Amino acid sequence: MSRVCFHCGDPIPAGLDIASELQNEHREFCCFGCQAIAEHICGADLSFYYQRRDNAKGTRLTEDNSSVFDLLLDKDLYNQYVHQGTDGHTIQLSLSGITCSACAWLIEKHLSKQAGILSVHVNLSSAIATITWDPDSISIQQIAKELLYIGYSSQPYLPGEQDALQSKEKKRAIIRLGIAGVGMMQVMMSAIAMYAGDMQGMDDIYRQLLRGISFIFATPVVLYAGLPFYRGALRDLKNRHFTMDLPVSLGILLAYASSVMALYTETGHVYFDSVTMFIFFLLMGRFLETVARSYHLGGQQQASLAAIRVLRDDQLQTIPLQQLIVGDTAIIEPGQTFPVDGILLSDFTSVDESSLTGEYSPVSKKQGANIHAQTVNIDQQAHLQVTEVGQNTKAAAISRITERALSEKPKVAIIADKVAHYFVIAVLITASLTYGFWSWMGEDEAYWIMVSVLVVTCPCALSLATPVALTTVTNALKRAGFLITRGHVIEALATTQHIVFDKTGTLTYGSFSITQVELYDFNYSKEQVLGMISGLEQHSKHPIAKTFQQFAPAKIMNIENLASQGVSGEYQGERFYFGNLALLESIGLPLISSINSSKAQLDLYLATKKQIFAKVTLCDALRPEAQSVIASLREQGIRVSLLTGDTRESAQSILDPEWFDDFETRCLPDQKWNWIKAQSGKNTLMIGDGLNDVPALAGATTSLAMGASSDLAKLHADAILLSEHLSTIPTALKAAKNCHKIIKQNLIWAAGYNATLLPLAIAGMIPPWVAAIGMALSSLIVVVNATRLNKL
Amino acid sequence: MESLFLLIPIAAIFVVIAVVIFIWAVKGDQFDDLNREGERILFEDDETDNKS
Repeated sequence: MSRVCFHCGDPIPAGLDIASELQNEHREFCCFGCQAIAEHICGADLSFYYQRRDNAKGTRLTEDNSSVFDLLLDKDLYNQYVHQGTDGHTIQLSLSGITCSACAWLIEKHLSKQAGILSVHVNLSSAIATITWDPDSISIQQIAKELLYIGYSSQPYLPGEQDALQSKEKKRAIIRLGIAGVGMMQVMMSAIAMYAGDMQGMDDIYRQLLRGISFIFATPVVLYAGLPFYRGALRDLKNRHFTMDLPVSLGILLAYASSVMALYTETGHVYFDSVTMFIFFLLMGRFLETVARSYHLGGQQQASLAAIRVLRDDQLQTIPLQQLIVGDTAIIEPGQTFPVDGILLSDFTSVDESSLTGEYSPVSKKQGANIHAQTVNIDQQAHLQVTEVGQNTKAAAISRITERALSEKPKVAIIADKVAHYFVIAVLITASLTYGFWSWMGEDEAYWIMVSVLVVTCPCALSLATPVALTTVTNALKRAGFLITRGHVIEALATTQHIVFDKTGTLTYGSFSITQVELYDFNYSKEQVLGMISGLEQHSKHPIAKTFQQFAPAKIMNIENLASQGVSGEYQGERFYFGNLALLESIGLPLISSINSSKAQLDLYLATKKQIFAKVTLCDALRPEAQSVIASLREQGIRVSLLTGDTRESAQSILDPEWFDDFETRCLPDQKWNWIKAQSGKNTLMIGDGLNDVPALAGATTSLAMGASSDLAKLHADAILLSEHLSTIPTALKAAKNCHKIIKQNLIWAAGYNATLLPLAIAGMIPPWVAAIGMALSSLIVVVNATRLNKL
Repeated sequence: MESLFLLIPIAAIFVVIAVVIFIWAVKGDQFDDLNREGERILFEDDETDNKS
């Protein structure tokens, strides 16, 4: 049985032994960091966290960013981020690594036990903690440190106008929903009494009382809760493009107006019950849709305070990132992301540019080389002369292409809107023809007959047909790890004709894995060799080092980093080197001609100055399910293409061009977008992960980002593949097709129901209570039909 | 049956009070975090020591 870390759930390298006795249980860990966190949590009597968390995965602390809190020693910044009330100071912190209620509980419990903390509240949806403390007994720096002890890093956060607006909008939506719900229940109670009265007789005075009460409760529902529909309808009228909002508003307002008339004249029928129920169901559908989509995407990171170290006047200073100006000398540690564009001042470093180019092999940079924002520094501390900040950086330029791509995004014709368009016209024509006919016949009641026609065609079931089905399938897909963040996704997926994949990070894992170990000397076994490499690489931040973490490190002394060549260290008194061909050359070993060195794979050697012991081949591995998923998609008649920034040889070494209809290599971000744009007229789904995919993601009809994508890619994608498993894609396509089918069934049923009742209503043959019950039943059938989508 | 003329308006007043309390709760940020509050009770259960 493979052992997993008690705290973070990662597998423990074989032979590694880090363990503690916690709560009388023997617990094992993958690293000292996790051990420290778990000991701290259990020591503070908070081990309940481990019983209650959703999945057995704690956060592994990756970066100690507590220096950002030192910035708050500055009085101006402190005043900006900290609210200083009479009863303590308050700050908002954006947290990383918070995943479930147990995390929120842990943070609140742990902090509130500290002396001087007055209150802590963690909002799980937005991952923001609001903390109030007594500045005399604890400082914000200590609070941040306490958070680090239990495994969460945090950044000071200042909510912007956007946040305030969003939270206000959300509150209004909840109030509307509440008012509609309570109003609906009250009106329904009166309505049931009136139905009973219709069947067994009722004094007019009581009927009038019940009608009055329903009027009182229906009015706020219609006038306040229904506002979003009227706004949508007005917008439709202005744009001359009819969506479902128009018939909905028309139905609500006409039914309400005629009911008020009926109440006033003490004749006819009141429809307050149908109106309120209708509004409540529709609001519910919309609300569930927004809740399903509200997912913490990490966009707030940009609004958080970040620190950067600079050299100004020969002095090392820590300043807020926002104050960095062109010409500054910034210092970036290995493992950190470059926040700005600049020129390298130090001798060399290697940089992971995969976020910009999709190429995962690190690029060596020499003094004077250009460094781009959003790339990651790998092996050396880098001094950077800042050349561009903020909007002028290359990464920001990609964002601008993205905005343009978004504005040119092809629109999907939403089936309900198409139906609505014709429906509105048909209803209006029928109603006016009815009115015209009866007036021509000299009928005094012509107006009332027209109203009844409009009320009967009240598109309750019709307008519920789509949102109910969409909401159900959205939730079902979310459980399967396919998160939808925009409204049109399901409709678009159902008719997708063309799927475009990115290579690195999408079809492949986007990281190195060992494909081959070749031994040249049999003094050491394969395990020993890998252990030695793991030991040599254990302190390196290079992406290659991660590959070897799974092996128990051998004891290596005096480790040295050899920039852009490899590492060296002493093992049992002898100096070993691990690195590329350039390293072998530099230590004077005869070069072996590497036969199959294509660009996609990396050959690394373990050697001493005398001989070579082993060759390890690393490669970006294809996801195991990739080939079968692509094949099954093509079987369904979908065109499958590959767009990658890599070279052709590199792509071909792990992917067979035969699998794809198109095999495009060496694409820059805007070329990817242009290629997608050239496929216009087709319904395209783009699947990608990196910053270089973002314009293409934004430009495609629908876009899907992998769960481990860059924040920007997730922000601009229409859906996110949280499961990180490609086979979820065919599942989602199938679910979307089913959803489409159910929507059609629902629309046919609803339209059929309206069409049957319409002639009867024109002839005045339906008792009002039958119409009301029929309306409720037809809606119910639509809802029940949609729940079939719960099973994927 | 005449009692309805008194009882129904009284019921209506209670509804209004309930709605006012609801709006007050929403404005007081009690509905800000829909993911968490439903599970909070599971955690408070275990609590043995009250924070001072």
